[in-house]
Amino acid sequence: MKIAVLVKPALDTSQLRVKEGRVVIEETPLKINDIDRNAIEEAIKLKGNDKAYAISVLKWPPLQKRIQEAENLLREALAMGLDEAYLVADEGLIGSDQSATAKAIAAVINKVGADLVLAAEASIDNYTGQVPPRVAAELGWPLITYARELRVEGGKAIAKRDLEDSVETAEAQLPAVVSVTREINQPRIPTLLAIRAAMKKPVNKLTLADLGIKPDVKVELVGYKPVVIQRKRVIIKDGTPEEKADKLLQYLRQEGVI
Amino acid sequence: MKALVVYPNKEALYAASTLGEYAALAVGDAELKAAEGAPVVYNVRGDPRDLGLRISAVLQLAGQYDVIIMPSLKETKTIGGYMSQKLNAPFITDVVSLRAEGGKLLVERYVFGNKATASLRANVPAVLTIAPGKFLGEPPKASTKVVELSPQSAGLFRIAGVEPKASGGVRIEEAEIIVSVGRGFKKKEDLAMAFDLAKALGGQVGCSRPIAADLKWLSEDHWVGLSGHKVRPKLYLAIGISGQPQHIAGILDSRIIAAINNDPNAPIFQYADYGVVEDLYKIVPILIRKAAELKK
Ligand SMILES: Cc1cc2nc3c(=O)[nH]c(=O)nc-3n(C[C@H](O)[C@H](O)[C@H](O)COP(=O)(O)OP(=O)(O)OC[C@H]3O[C@@H](n4cnc5c(N)ncnc54)[C@H](O)[C@@H]3O)c2cc1C
Repeated sequence: MKIAVLVKPALDTSQLRVKEGRVVIEETPLKINDIDRNAIEEAIKLKGNDKAYAISVLKWPPLQKRIQEAENLLREALAMGLDEAYLVADEGLIGSDQSATAKAIAAVINKVGADLVLAAEASIDNYTGQVPPRVAAELGWPLITYARELRVEGGKAIAKRDLEDSVETAEAQLPAVVSVTREINQPRIPTLLAIRAAMKKPVNKLTLADLGIKPDVKVELVGYKPVVIQRKRVIIKDGTPEEKADKLLQYLRQEGVI
Repeated sequence: MKALVVYPNKEALYAASTLGEYAALAVGDAELKAAEGAPVVYNVRGDPRDLGLRISAVLQLAGQYDVIIMPSLKETKTIGGYMSQKLNAPFITDVVSLRAEGGKLLVERYVFGNKATASLRANVPAVLTIAPGKFLGEPPKASTKVVELSPQSAGLFRIAGVEPKASGGVRIEEAEIIVSVGRGFKKKEDLAMAFDLAKALGGQVGCSRPIAADLKWLSEDHWVGLSGHKVRPKLYLAIGISGQPQHIAGILDSRIIAAINNDPNAPIFQYADYGVVEDLYKIVPILIRKAAELKK
């Protein structure tokens, strides 16, 4: 089965750079979106003798620097076991809304072909989870989101969908788009040998022009503001456990919360 | 602006009413009831779980509305993305503030693991989901005109079964006091201490992801964080939780955060109003006793 995996070079939010009350996107490093590793793992398990490939769309500036960074990240995905990668990098996609992202992804899929598209339920930087449904709509394919279990049988994807209060068993005819949760599997850590082999696997770079897509912006960013966490940060570290417990309860009573 | 509410609840109806004229789409009786008071309600008979049915209904109505508003749920994120692509519209999730200005929508949402807010100006038509607890007004009550609608389902997938999730019977989003447990607890049985403390304080028990997802010591309704529940209690007491950004993302709206951790360098202390450096096994039993005494 031929599988496309959406791999986002996401902002590493644990290293978000903030200077003088401003978020500095340009200096914040990228990482592979955590849950994408689960999608990659699932693809490697399901692909059989066919190929599984990554599709990445760059969303964060500055473009030139990010291309190199994304290429290095894609080597990690290839080392896990994907066969090749497609990196769509274009100024027109930086800061664009996800409609153009989905069009670009769908165009790569139409070009390379796929029986199944796997993606993460959401990416850690924006956490909107909208790209997999958008890609399904763009391709006109069935869609299953939030899969915590997945198997393919008789040309169908069968998944357990992890909803707030229930788990649904969903079936869809292939080709289909499936987004997965972190609970679906334990992503592998590539061996040194696999890391070396990944250096030889192809990373194909594409622009919007290559895919015949025009960018179009419907959401304008007014700005990012860091959330300033103003906590009192009173530390109670001296005394016996008994004394510490008294102090804590005293503070909480003063605050009127107990 | 004209808004259409899908998966109607009070907060989404209120958010829609602040923009101007509005209507709601109801699939099934429970939603028909929830939409009561909206000036127009489109009533679709069918399975509320059938996402394709909802998508078709919205796409049929979309031309008459500038904005589609839904509560933030996994299902609304699923259909929201799908419909937005069909409508060539922006989809903005977990909106915390919203107003119309010059024919556009000004919205704010948290981004980057809730470490920043993004202010966005979006063209209409647009699709939004609103974060819980941010639109707490009373929607005006009108006499409702019900319009029957019978769309064809777009059929995203076939539902072969539904199982309810194991539940600890908590609604953690609504708790005023949360005693939350992390991997500092060594055994499942030890969580009894947290339940005792929560009981003494009149609160509920929450947990970090590993406790629910990996160890499965508690059901997922206790899970707090970016991929769990976002909470906003008066008091959030984190015990044996290190304070990783994905956990913190779920507790930012708490009024007071207190933490107990035996590692003075645990990141949770950076996010806490009151931090106690102590072994939880020593201090929690004392807190249970003293909290119970306070109540008397
Ligand atoms: C995409 C993504 C989404 C995620 N979503 C969530 C989410 O929604 N919620 C969430 O919680 N996590 C989430 N995580 C996981 C998160 O990164 C952390 O791994 C997790 O929060 C850690 O849980 P913990 O604090 O219980 O465990 P640990 O990090 O292991 O911390 C245990 C703490 O207990 C302390 N401790 C140990 N013994 C004692 C003792 N005797 N007394 C007192 N203290 C003690 C230690 O000092 C330590 O600080 C997510 C991760 C990713 C990548």
